[in-house]
Amino acid sequence: MLKFLKRILFQFKEYFLLVVLLVISLSLLSTNEKQQSKHLNSFALQNFSFFSDAINSMTSIFRKDISYAKLKEENAELMLEVNLLRKFSLENEKLRSLIGLKDSSKFPLIPVKVVSKLVTKIQGNFIINKGTGNGIIKGMPVISEKGLVGMIMETTEDCSVVRTLYNSNLNVAVTIQRENVDGVLSFDGKDLIIKNIPTSQDIQVGDRVETSDFSSLFPAYVPIGEIILKKTNDVGLLYNLTVRPFADIPGANVLFVIKIVPSKEINHLEMNLMK
Amino acid sequence: MNIKNFKPIIYFIPLAVIQLTVIPLIAVDNITPNIIFILIAYYTLMFGQSYGTILGFALGFIFDIISGGLIGASMISFTLSAFIAGYFYSDNKIDFNTKSFFFLLIIFICGSINSFIYAVISNSNTSVNTFYIILFEGLLPGLYTSLFGLPFVIISPKKGLS
Repeated sequence: MLKFLKRILFQFKEYFLLVVLLVISLSLLSTNEKQQSKHLNSFALQNFSFFSDAINSMTSIFRKDISYAKLKEENAELMLEVNLLRKFSLENEKLRSLIGLKDSSKFPLIPVKVVSKLVTKIQGNFIINKGTGNGIIKGMPVISEKGLVGMIMETTEDCSVVRTLYNSNLNVAVTIQRENVDGVLSFDGKDLIIKNIPTSQDIQVGDRVETSDFSSLFPAYVPIGEIILKKTNDVGLLYNLTVRPFADIPGANVLFVIKIVPSKEINHLEMNLMK
Repeated sequence: MNIKNFKPIIYFIPLAVIQLTVIPLIAVDNITPNIIFILIAYYTLMFGQSYGTILGFALGFIFDIISGGLIGASMISFTLSAFIAGYFYSDNKIDFNTKSFFFLLIIFICGSINSFIYAVISNSNTSVNTFYIILFEGLLPGLYTSLFGLPFVIISPKKGLS
């Protein structure tokens, strides 16, 4: 019997080996959110980010650079916009003081550099060059100069992992600005989609989408993108809206982390929902 | 301990850095080649199925923890695809398998399987079309990866199909 078992084991040793390794991999897959896995991940990230940063600074010379003229033009446009916003701000301040509300619209930004990217069609993750040492904590939103990019998912002393909008595990509470309609934006592996918006709402292609004030993960009114396609479902009662993000997420190089400290309890609950 | 056990790990470190920093620059619509898989496939075809399976498992684990991705996803995909690549291993055909255009075909087949498995594991969105995953997360990355296997074939003096 023992001989027979030994013979079988020897004959199919590759299959046994495969099964054992797959079982180990699957069990590790299920322990992703455990503290030990996170410590291991943090340790590896911390060491690896050194190499990534060195290579990244070398490759940055190959990245397309925005020309000086274009920057100047953008600067001028921003200056005009700032003027306009200043006017609104004064008006807003007066109105807020009338109803006794405190200003909560200013958030300090931490500029960060993307040191490596895990680019797949379904799982978009970036590693950035700043971490807890710079005041970055898990759950902080990450933006570019154009709009929302993602959220901090892991942090170490010197680097952090950003889960981008192009990650099927990230769902964002959003508002369609013109109609003030709320929805949930998610990535379906191909496009950013807001599902199940009633067709009774007057949604137009080109409408701007921003973060909703329902979300405690992201500050409200951060621009995300615009609607480029609306499709009605089979029954004809609901829209599925395709959104094109304002931020160039695949080409992102310099980003900003919004230094907000989300409510611990709500954040914990929402983070659990995202697992 | 044989040096053959450590060589791929030494090669892996610069390849992982390139995979995470340089390769995203040449992504075509988020489709990227997987140069780490080329290393795994090469060593599988050199030293056999069991060796390749263990190598895929080990390198997958290291890649998962340094890339900030889902721990276990690359482990499973590299382990399974290396196991499949191991079916092409033959003691008498090592040169033909690794230095001919047949190598590119193996990379394409196993690379596509690797990308497909990775996508299936890491995707939590049930609405993603299976055909879409097969094409854009399996076949196209596999094809792109096989292009990166070309240097092995071109540099090699023996070309099985030439």
